[in-house]
Amino acid sequence: MAEKKKMTVAEILAAARAADRPESAAQPAAPKEPEPASEQPAVEATAKPVLKPKPAAGGARPGVADILAMARAKKAEGDTPAAKPAAEKPAAAVAKAAVAKPAAKPAAAAGAAKTGVQRDTASILAAARAAAKPGPVAKADAPARPAPKPREAVKSTEEKAAPPRTVATLPPKPVKPAKKGADEGEDRRGFLQIAMGSAMAMGFTALSVTGGLFTLGLARFLFPNVLAEPPSKFKVGSKDGFPAGKVETKYVAQYGVWVVNGDFQGQQQVYALKTVCTHLGCTPSWLEAEQKFKCPCHGSGFYKDGINFEGPAPRPLERYAIRVADDGQLEIDKSKTFQEELGQWADPDSYVTV
Amino acid sequence: MHSSGFFLKDVAGFLGGYYAFMAIMNGVAALLLWRRKGQVGWALVWTVFAGIMMVLASLALSGTADLVPALPLSVRTLVNRLSGPVLYTLGTFVLLTVLFVFRRFFVKPMVAWTILNAMLLLMGLSMADENFASIVMKPDNVPIVGLVFLLAFFTWLATSQAVVNDDRIARGLPPVEKENDEKVLVWPDLVYTELICMVAVSAFLLLWAICLPAPLEEPASSVKTPNPSKAPWYFLGLQEMLVYFDPWYAGVVLPSLVIFGLMAMPYLDFNKKGNGYYSIEERKFSYLTYQFGFFLLWITLIILGTFLRGPNWNFFGPFEFWTPYKVEVLNNVDLPQMFWVNLLDQPLPKAPSGASGLVQAGYILLREAPGLLVMGAYLVLLPPLLAVTLFRGFYAKMGFIRYMIMANLMLLMLTLPLKMVLRWTLNLKYIVSIPELSLNF
Repeated sequence: MAEKKKMTVAEILAAARAADRPESAAQPAAPKEPEPASEQPAVEATAKPVLKPKPAAGGARPGVADILAMARAKKAEGDTPAAKPAAEKPAAAVAKAAVAKPAAKPAAAAGAAKTGVQRDTASILAAARAAAKPGPVAKADAPARPAPKPREAVKSTEEKAAPPRTVATLPPKPVKPAKKGADEGEDRRGFLQIAMGSAMAMGFTALSVTGGLFTLGLARFLFPNVLAEPPSKFKVGSKDGFPAGKVETKYVAQYGVWVVNGDFQGQQQVYALKTVCTHLGCTPSWLEAEQKFKCPCHGSGFYKDGINFEGPAPRPLERYAIRVADDGQLEIDKSKTFQEELGQWADPDSYVTV
Repeated sequence: MHSSGFFLKDVAGFLGGYYAFMAIMNGVAALLLWRRKGQVGWALVWTVFAGIMMVLASLALSGTADLVPALPLSVRTLVNRLSGPVLYTLGTFVLLTVLFVFRRFFVKPMVAWTILNAMLLLMGLSMADENFASIVMKPDNVPIVGLVFLLAFFTWLATSQAVVNDDRIARGLPPVEKENDEKVLVWPDLVYTELICMVAVSAFLLLWAICLPAPLEEPASSVKTPNPSKAPWYFLGLQEMLVYFDPWYAGVVLPSLVIFGLMAMPYLDFNKKGNGYYSIEERKFSYLTYQFGFFLLWITLIILGTFLRGPNWNFFGPFEFWTPYKVEVLNNVDLPQMFWVNLLDQPLPKAPSGASGLVQAGYILLREAPGLLVMGAYLVLLPPLLAVTLFRGFYAKMGFIRYMIMANLMLLMLTLPLKMVLRWTLNLKYIVSIPELSLNF
């Protein structure tokens, strides 16, 4: 994963500490943070060290960035004082914390005891990372990060800062190919972009066309070839088949109708009741023993004539239109309903007198 | 339906494991108490109890139906005869009130443990009853059994912490949560916990789905309604509400108000205390209002709808056979009927046939005048009246708009229990009943 020239964590740490050791304790104590060394997430850690070089710039102690530059220069020459620990320890990301933890604590303690100056592992690592790859920057860090370099360069007395700052020894970074592409737009990548772009456009066009056709195809199902509904008009035989007081339930399953020969306001009638509860539309069941329609959902009850009397149903069951057809049979028309509370049961279409 | 002997053999295996589990549970509790010096007496109690449970387990597994421990038939019959929607609702109300008032006693670990064991034992003994078991063991009712125990546990947990905090606050100490408010990281601490929970819950649900297959029924038909026809368990509270109201109110307005009210809560709340820790004393009004709405108007109605509502939505006792032929005499009457016919002894005002729409509307208004007046007084007069009496302090702190929202939400919430009580006592169906416009209240 790592490049050959890239420094391992151990090397960076070793170099940093080596640079610290000869320094005198001339400056105010560096911001002391033992914790981030162990577990602080990287983002948080990067924020701190970036600001740190400021006090270091004026004093005798080189900033982290300077140390790193020096170390890198050394490594490039082939002179590797930190080679030993590097050989022992893997550079894998997981190992970082594990390696850093035990190393940091004694070193920090010793440094603090001797000189009162301490550079914690996290800040070193963070600085190293910041220099190695200026990857995504958190919003909070964004203004802080680029600031130190130019400012320091102006402020600092150049003698100390200048020589280690020769970052030029690093292999020159491949500098932003994007800029070039923007200028020309005709090279291979640009071509690829155009090709990809058009492919994308083609893809989306195809997708939307397919989607549209699919929707149209679905809409087709709204108009089926065959309607499986029973016809709204049907015959139930002559009215002799419905003796007085009888509730005929055999048309419920197919048509959703009770044909009743009952007494309504003193008049013997044959009428067709719709099997839909007026509360929430369940199908009540006819209880012969109790002579009532009873809804299983919320317990509404209706008398034989369809009038609601118990439970929450707010109004009576509805009637369908019924008439004696030309052949003498009763014909029920489900396309017309009659509601008692609107006074429609007085309509002669809603019943057949016996 | 099984005959009783066969049935008992079916559940006997389950009950054997059930009692054995209770024995182990209490044995472990006794061991832990024994190690914690000073609790030796309780350790002995639970050891003895575990022994009894072992005996019950062996009786259940004996293979003889008569030996399976069960509640005596006389007790079951008595419970069936006594239970009804009124007793159930008032009983739970009284029970929860007692639990709340004497919470300091009930949250003591040993008392809570005793109650848990009593609940489990009662459940086990009831399971030997065929009718009880056939309802409780139905795959879609099992979650409700879990809900009862889980809610009891979590309520106990929260209440016990609230009691501790209330004591500390009374002594001038900060709540427990403030003392050890060590922060943990979302990643990895929380995310890992969630991952582990996710895996565990998935495994549990998988096992559940294998052991308790979904109760599939015949293909749906618009003219065939199963009897009883029940909503999913989490909507059974709503279904119970629908027994007392018109669909537009119990099915649309009240649920929307529940959601709206929950959303409005943080804006209505002016009490800055109790933020981030359990406390009852510091937010008594909020606590009681919420628990009333949650426990009484939601949970107990779910339990009622699940276990006690049978065919034709009639009420059945816990040990009663669910027959669709149970006759319950009900004759619900609207308020206008009560007022005009029963009280004034005259027919309902009715527009002469062929009258214009405006005249008809006038007659409808006249007919519904008593109901409309009652409703108007309830929703318009009560809030200001409460503002100068009971809620005087609230009104001063909340200001006009917030107070009016709060008061109206409260009053609308209370329409449910009020309507239930009116239905039970006066057989009142609707206060305002305008079926011509499908408008009933």
